[in-house]
Amino acid sequence: MILGGFPYLTSILMACLLGLGGILMLPAERALAIKKVSALFSGITLVLSLFLFVAYDRELGGMQFVEKYLWVEALGIYYHNAADGFSLPMLLLTGIVFFTAVLTMWELEHRVKEFFALFFLLVTGVFGLFMSLDLFFIFVWYDVSLFPMYLLIAVWGSTRKEYGAMKLTLYLLAGSALILPAIIFLVVKAGLNTFDLTALMQPGLFTPYEQKLAFLLLFIGFGILAGVWPFHTWSPVGHVAAPTAVSMVHAGVLMKIGSFGILRIAIYLCPEGWQYWSQAMALLAAVGIVYGALVGLGQTDLKYVVGYSSVSHMGIVGLGLATVSVDGLNGAVFQMFAHGVMTALFFSSIGYIYDKTHTKMIDELGGLNRIMPKASAFFILAAFAGIGVPCLASFWGELIVFMAAFKAFPLRGIAAISGLVISALFMLRVVQKTFYGPPNPKLAHLVDMSPALSVPRVILAAVIVLFGLFPSLLFDVIQTASLPLIGGLTP
Amino acid sequence: MMNDQTLIIVLLVTGLPFVAFGVILLGTRACPRLSAGVSLTAAGIAMLGAGYLLGTHWQMTQPVIFSSRWMTSGSLEIVLGVLLDPLSLLMLLLVTAISFLVQFYSLGYMAGDPGLARYYAYLSLFAWAMTNLTLAPNLLQLYIFWELVGLSSYLLIGFWSEKFSASEAGKKAFVMTRLGDVAFFIGILVLLLALGNLDILALNDPPVADKLPPAGLTWAALLIFGGIIGKSAQFPLLTWLPDAMEGPTPVSALLHSATMVAAGVYLFARLFPFFSLSSTAMTVMLAIGTLSMLLAATMAMVTRDIKQVWAYSTISQLGFMIMGLAAGGYFAGVFHLVTHAGFKALLFLCAGVFIHHFGTNDMFVIGRRAGRRQRVPMLCLVVAAGALAGLPPLSGFFSKELILGRLADLDSPLWLAAGLLGALLTAYYAFRLIFVILSPRPPEEEEEMDAGDQRSAHAHHSAGGTAAMVVPLLILTAVTIALGFYQNQLDIFLAASLTRAMMPAGHHDWLFYSAVGAAVAGVALAWMAFGRPGASQKGVVARFAGLNRLFAQRWYLDHLYRWLLDHLVYGLFAKVCLQNDRKVIDAGLDGLAQGTVGAGRVMSGIHKDAIQPKLLVMFVVMLLLALYFIF
Repeated sequence: MILGGFPYLTSILMACLLGLGGILMLPAERALAIKKVSALFSGITLVLSLFLFVAYDRELGGMQFVEKYLWVEALGIYYHNAADGFSLPMLLLTGIVFFTAVLTMWELEHRVKEFFALFFLLVTGVFGLFMSLDLFFIFVWYDVSLFPMYLLIAVWGSTRKEYGAMKLTLYLLAGSALILPAIIFLVVKAGLNTFDLTALMQPGLFTPYEQKLAFLLLFIGFGILAGVWPFHTWSPVGHVAAPTAVSMVHAGVLMKIGSFGILRIAIYLCPEGWQYWSQAMALLAAVGIVYGALVGLGQTDLKYVVGYSSVSHMGIVGLGLATVSVDGLNGAVFQMFAHGVMTALFFSSIGYIYDKTHTKMIDELGGLNRIMPKASAFFILAAFAGIGVPCLASFWGELIVFMAAFKAFPLRGIAAISGLVISALFMLRVVQKTFYGPPNPKLAHLVDMSPALSVPRVILAAVIVLFGLFPSLLFDVIQTASLPLIGGLTP
Repeated sequence: MMNDQTLIIVLLVTGLPFVAFGVILLGTRACPRLSAGVSLTAAGIAMLGAGYLLGTHWQMTQPVIFSSRWMTSGSLEIVLGVLLDPLSLLMLLLVTAISFLVQFYSLGYMAGDPGLARYYAYLSLFAWAMTNLTLAPNLLQLYIFWELVGLSSYLLIGFWSEKFSASEAGKKAFVMTRLGDVAFFIGILVLLLALGNLDILALNDPPVADKLPPAGLTWAALLIFGGIIGKSAQFPLLTWLPDAMEGPTPVSALLHSATMVAAGVYLFARLFPFFSLSSTAMTVMLAIGTLSMLLAATMAMVTRDIKQVWAYSTISQLGFMIMGLAAGGYFAGVFHLVTHAGFKALLFLCAGVFIHHFGTNDMFVIGRRAGRRQRVPMLCLVVAAGALAGLPPLSGFFSKELILGRLADLDSPLWLAAGLLGALLTAYYAFRLIFVILSPRPPEEEEEMDAGDQRSAHAHHSAGGTAAMVVPLLILTAVTIALGFYQNQLDIFLAASLTRAMMPAGHHDWLFYSAVGAAVAGVALAWMAFGRPGASQKGVVARFAGLNRLFAQRWYLDHLYRWLLDHLVYGLFAKVCLQNDRKVIDAGLDGLAQGTVGAGRVMSGIHKDAIQPKLLVMFVVMLLLALYFIF
């Protein structure tokens, strides 16, 4: 254990649980106090994850902040947490999105207590998953993060919320129905009587055939959550139905659980399966990139637009993972982070627009740039990030992934790069129709975002610009994990 | 390498505009005058710094490089820095000077606009992107800032975003240039893969030819040229540029003289030794340049909008520069880039004065409202149009003659013929505009109706600020008159960095006469049709109705693209994907879900009702089992 053995990772979880306890103890009518408690404890998780990100020893690399305790000896289950170059960006992302999502929901009035309690439970699962190194715990955390989602969407959502919530839950359960057998299969085949990921990672533990089979199950299982084409249709529907903060966490963080699961479990445990299936992965990803952007062209609902852009952008993550290269992994993890912050900003600004105008249909808006310049600026900034404009974070992820992809699969790489034109067309089309043009007289009386409400959006925008200007802040951390992983592959 | 003083100046030149952008956006937004001041200060210091750098490096023999690692991924290092050599220093001075003049001019032109602070923020962002593009030591940095130039020009073209046509024009400019950028990016990837290095000086080194097979070289060159086609609005991606006139006129002056669209030609010049390794690529570029030059010139002959004329002429002149470069004339192309930057900025800024004063873009209306009484702008306009037409002794004449000389060296005389034809058409449309304003005719009804939809984007009228507008005009006019005489000094300066790949130009005594002859013929044609007393002012092309329509409709290119976009992208691809999502994937899964529910109903039906039949079945089964066991 490093850093004096203080359990930093567990304290992130404890902050979530303490916050949850605090919310539960407060009476439901004290809504403001509940929000303050939520902001406080989510802020603590942000500070802790930021601290870990900074304190991580980049020279040393590998797993740090390790906490390992035997949980159930008979089954070989460990409470094993650690952070490395892949999980630290994800923890930081979760902290940022969590805190800003809580602040975004400051004006919530409907069943505040239940909302924040469920929201804390959801995020606890997400944090747990990103830091855990035990297959059993990872699966448990996965399900912990799923179930609150159903209630959050079905109760606080909009636009076909029951349908969206049901669809999302069924899809994700179908995913876990593939993940669980794969995990059990691997644990049994290893015959070490342990769920510990680090123990199962030894090369040569699984035969190539076993790896191919397990990788396929895990890839599809987690791929559903990552919005891999053609398992993506739950995600736009879910985004649209969910309330703002849940959309933010959902698109910003939850979809990353999928790609992170592929990386942490499927790729780490079945590297040969990874190499075997990489061609097919790249194909699905390239199709997803172009397809998502094309479907996005015809959308009329702001949230659907962002939903399909997520399909397209998560395709870039998938493409990076498929390249089996250092650059591909670096770009994919960077893109996961960048996309998370970007979509959070998207949904956060749509949330404000929807609160004020009570519509997210593009045709009913128009000229918003004149009516609420601040709220519009945040959306437009996110749209630029989505187009892949330099100096905004997503650019670097896309750049590195495309470089790696062009090297590994030239044709699929070119197809994916051509998606850039379509995504520019569809983002600018939305920006034009929603924010430019003469102001809609029906909306002219609406007020712009107050400084207090701007805070979460400013944080997200600042993060996008910061990592857009200084990408090495993130790449240098990711490198510490991607180099050993690729270096350890058997050629 | 680089001494401290140079480094500080370089950092100021490349960094200050961005600082100004940040300061305006985060701090002084509420105060337009202060924002303009911040932006102008940054632009002014950048211009002085660029002048200082050019002055101190006038005798340079070796390029100066400064770079630092920006990020690392695996074996790939992304490096940002500056490359100071004659070409980049010259371009830097051009970019910063035009930026400064345009910002100064905007004090008058944009006075009273509610978005003034935002306007200056965008101008600063633009200046930053453009300076760093100019000084980029490697292709990746060039690409990054190339994209940022695209972004800031999107913002500037669509500056009056309440107008549908403005936001549409911005979008069109961005998406169409992006189309070229994708090719550019793939070209970069090809080079990165083949060479493992994107350093511009390394690319221009002859041994590159040994590392790349000839076919790969040609492909890489053509892909990169795709980016040039997009940025410099060459055929077939030329239709965004005339629409981009929706931006404020100073922005048009900035974008279409020394900066955004010139960036394409600059990239060509930057990689000139690399491009000239592939003769196939050079021939393709020559053909595209020629085609764009002639197409755009024909379009400029028939439009009534004063800004549109200069827009088409920009495409045409950029095509001309590409012709010069592709014909092997490095200095010819670069020199025309320099002279064109001066007189094209002047043309737009003069047009801006008229538009500002008369509130219309229609040259016939301006003529009728006595545009010629605006003496200073009118004089400047005539000088600039003379330079554009290639009349001696103005700057355009010298650079045009150099390019024509290069074309004359080529094997086929067709290129020279095309060049001379272009020169004639250019002189015709430039002086058509001059004569229309100088000798107005009484209005005809049909003309007035046309004028209705040519209304200027510049709606507000404010009397003040003309002094700010006139000063840049005078400076640019002086440059336009004088620049041609510095041809030799510039030639020696630029040649210092590029000993290889410089083929000496052939000498043609008759060229002077044919170049001047083409220009004078064009002016005379315009005089016959528009200038002489009693001229019909219908124009030469108007006699052929079909041709007139073809030119006015931009050869129907826009219609074709619109059709492709509507029917192919929106109508076919997007729809098929959407239907696939709804009808195949979703419907399939909904079907599966309903099937599951249905199966559950059947099963529960079996289990719920009909107790007596079930009892009967049980009884029969038991009976059969009993019989089986007993016997």
